[in-house]
Amino acid sequence: MSNVKIKSKNLNVYYGDKQALFDVNLDLNEKEVTALIGPSGCGKSTFIRCINRMNDVIDICKVTGNIEMDGMNINDKDLDVVSLRERVGMVFQKPNPFPKSIYDNISYGPKIHGKGETKSELDQIVENSLKKSALWEEVKDRLDEPGTSLSGGQQQRLCIARAISVNPEVILMDEPCSALDPIATAKIEELIDELKKTYTIVIVTHSMAQAVRVSQKTGFFHLGKLIEVGKTEKIFKNPDNKMTQDYITGRFG
Amino acid sequence: MSNEHTVKSYEEELQFLKDSLIKMGSLTESQLGDAMDAVIKVDKDSIDKIIKSDEEINKFRSKIDTQIMNLLVKRAPMAIDLRETISSLKISQDLERIGDLSKSNAKKVKPLPLDLPDELLGNLKRLGELVMKQLNDVLDSYVNKNFDKAKEVWKKDEQVDDLTYIAMESVIDFLSKDKKNLDFSTHLIFATKNLERAGDHITNIAETVCYLIKGEYLKGSRPKGKVIQE
Repeated sequence: MSNVKIKSKNLNVYYGDKQALFDVNLDLNEKEVTALIGPSGCGKSTFIRCINRMNDVIDICKVTGNIEMDGMNINDKDLDVVSLRERVGMVFQKPNPFPKSIYDNISYGPKIHGKGETKSELDQIVENSLKKSALWEEVKDRLDEPGTSLSGGQQQRLCIARAISVNPEVILMDEPCSALDPIATAKIEELIDELKKTYTIVIVTHSMAQAVRVSQKTGFFHLGKLIEVGKTEKIFKNPDNKMTQDYITGRFG
Repeated sequence: MSNEHTVKSYEEELQFLKDSLIKMGSLTESQLGDAMDAVIKVDKDSIDKIIKSDEEINKFRSKIDTQIMNLLVKRAPMAIDLRETISSLKISQDLERIGDLSKSNAKKVKPLPLDLPDELLGNLKRLGELVMKQLNDVLDSYVNKNFDKAKEVWKKDEQVDDLTYIAMESVIDFLSKDKKNLDFSTHLIFATKNLERAGDHITNIAETVCYLIKGEYLKGSRPKGKVIQE
């Protein structure tokens, strides 16, 4: 039995008058990949943005209910959001490296979080992070080149390296492959398989096939509600809910 | 009842696959019945027709294979669609094997004498009728997605085993009365065994239909009747 890393209880999110999430109860297991699927606007990105308090940057956003990581209340007003984001990294749909060198992209996080005080410590973090994100061999001789000079797939792996450079516990991925070609996608999926040995991963994806390939657990959202959650295999072979079945089989009108 | 797919051609392809399987099933049913009649009536004229219809069944099988490959490649079916696709593949394999067994039975008619005693054929006829009924019921359970009916067929294979045992015994009795019966009795024994094997394929189909409907395999081993030592 896996440990629950993140637990949401009756989580509601409002953007002004509009309610985006309704009483979401979802457990994310430690060192597992959880995939969140559902049509655009169903709340899956809103949900993962609650995990690292990204919704804080939206003024009109209000979150109620409970969301915990290892028993710690993520919504606690006194919580240090910077240290939360150190523990919960995020990778976005479009690769967004800083307009800096490959090296600086990775070393920036550890520096501001006070990790890697000496140059050799930072060198080690950069090397390890790039190795973990399966990019080291491709970039080890050009670390001073701009991150933006890399291909799309490499940039996304750079962003993953950047996320893991501060040694987080959870990695949130919001459609990380939607801008990538099939080969770059395969590399990221291979990487996710490797990363799940160390990290708890949540991935939002529009590709059913990707959800099946990378995740152990899948949650289906619709109109802000978590309709069904279960083992990925079960969800895609024999879901309990008719709405889930209609969505994954392409019967949504 | 499920909604229709957003993509119409997907809906049509799945329907086309189901239709092909139903046609293949009905062809297999007729062929099994014809082969049974040919044995019971020692009707040597129908042998060629039965062999010919097996070719038709085999063609259906490859046609269905192609449809399934296309569906997998084009649509990557999920959930009920995935189960429908995979079940079609399995059911078409079982139907094709039933076709082969019917063909084999038709071929056994050639060496049979025309004056076989009724008591010898009576049990074989009963077995044939039961297997026919089983095939009809299982195809019906597939068409109407009737779980209980499929499970009933699965359970009833026990009766097929029992009747096979009885039919075998009557042939062996007959054989033991006069050694000159040996040649054609052997063919009758094989024909009986073929029917029992067809029964096993029907049971496989019943299991597949249950999986198709509920997404879970039937639990436990299926009931078994008396079995002739091989």
